[in-house]
Amino acid sequence: MREARSSWKLLALAAILPILVLVTINLSISDGYHSESFKRFGNALLTAYVLMGILLLGNLFFYADSRHRPFAPLVGMMVAIGIGLLVTWALISNDDLLLEANSGLRAQVLSNIVHLLVSATAMLLAAVLAIGATFAMITGRKRSILFEEEE
Amino acid sequence: MDSVLEAAIWFWIPLLLVPLGIWMSLSGKAKTPGKILAVSGFILVLISSWTVPSSDSTASGHLILSILAPSLLMAYGVHGMIFGGNVPVGKLDSSARWSGSLAILISLTILCLMHWYNLTPLWRNGEINPYWIVFWPTFLLFATSLCSVSAIALVGLGEDRLNEAMKLSVLSVIIAGIALVAMLFDGYFTTAEDFRNALWLAAADILGTVLGVILAIAAFAIVIWSYEKSLPLPSSSPPPSDEEIKHVISIADSHIGGEEE
Repeated sequence: MREARSSWKLLALAAILPILVLVTINLSISDGYHSESFKRFGNALLTAYVLMGILLLGNLFFYADSRHRPFAPLVGMMVAIGIGLLVTWALISNDDLLLEANSGLRAQVLSNIVHLLVSATAMLLAAVLAIGATFAMITGRKRSILFEEEE
Repeated sequence: MDSVLEAAIWFWIPLLLVPLGIWMSLSGKAKTPGKILAVSGFILVLISSWTVPSSDSTASGHLILSILAPSLLMAYGVHGMIFGGNVPVGKLDSSARWSGSLAILISLTILCLMHWYNLTPLWRNGEINPYWIVFWPTFLLFATSLCSVSAIALVGLGEDRLNEAMKLSVLSVIIAGIALVAMLFDGYFTTAEDFRNALWLAAADILGTVLGVILAIAAFAIVIWSYEKSLPLPSSSPPPSDEEIKHVISIADSHIGGEEE
C-alpha cells in the first residue's frame, strides 16, 4: 500500500516537475510573472468544472438506466453544477476578480468556453503524442520467447 | 441578421451539436444520427471563420482547421508506430514503424514551422490567429509533462522498462527544448516575449483545467456515493423449498456419475 502511494506521488511529481522547470526558467528570463495568470487559472478551473459537470450529468442517464431512473443523483449533480455557475457569476461580476479583457459577464463566459476548447485541443493532441509514444515504445520491443515450444 | 444571432446559428449551436451527437452515438439509441450530427457540427465549427467572420469566437474553429493536417499526420504516425510493433492483433508491416516515426517527426516539424516560419495560422486581415499563442505553449507544456509521467510510470509500474523510459525521457526533454528555444528566440509573427507571457497563461490553463476536471469528477463521485449509500440493503431471498431442492438434486444426478469404462 505504501509502495502504491509513493508511486502516485512520484507520478504527480513527474507531471509537475517539467512544467515547474520551464516556468522557473521563464521567470528567470522575464521581468516577473504574468499578472493575468491567476485570472486565467480561476477561469480555466471554473469553466472546466462546469463543462465537465455537464458532461457527467449526461453520463448519469446511462447510470439511471441500470437503477430504475432515480431522480436524486440528477438533482445532486445539477446542484453541484449550479454552485460552479454561481461562483463563476460572483467572481466575474464582482470587483473584477476574474474578468479578463472582455466587456462583461456574457463575453467572459463565452471567451472562457472558446479558450477551453483550444487548450483542450492542445492537451488532447499532446496526450495522443505522449500516450502513443508510450505504447509505441512498449510494442517496439522484440517478442521474448518464454518456452522453446513457441518457436 | 444580428451578429449575435449569426454567431449562435453558425458557431455556438454547431459546437453544442458535437458533444450532443457523440452522446447520442454512445448511448446506442441513435447511433447514425448522432454521428451525422457530431460530424456536421464539427465541420460547421471548422468553417465558422468564413460563415461568421464578424465573431471573434470563430478564431478557435479556424485554429483547429489550421492544425488539423499535422494532427491527423501525428495520429497516423502513432497508429503506425504502435501497430507496426509486436501486437497480437491488427499487426501492420514492420515498415509502418519507420513511416510512423517519420510522420510524427514531420508533424512536429510542421508545428514548429507554424511558429518559426510563415505557416502560422493567419486570421482576419492577415493578423495572427490569437489562439495560436494559446495552443502552442499549452501543447508543449502538456506534452513534456505527459512524456515525463509515462517515463516514470514505465520504470515504476513496469518491469525491465528502463530502455523505453529513457527514450520517453529524451522525447520529454526534446519537447521542453522546443519550448525553451521559443522562450529565447522570436517566432515569425510572434516575439519571444509573447511566448513567455503565453507560457505563464498556458501553465495556469493546464493546472486550472486539470483541477476543474478533478473537482467535477469528485462531485460526481460524491453524488453517486451518497445516493447508493441512502439505498436500503437488499432483502435476503428465502431458503429453497423441498421441491426446489429435489429439482436441483435431480439435475445434479443427471450430470454426475457418467459411464463406466
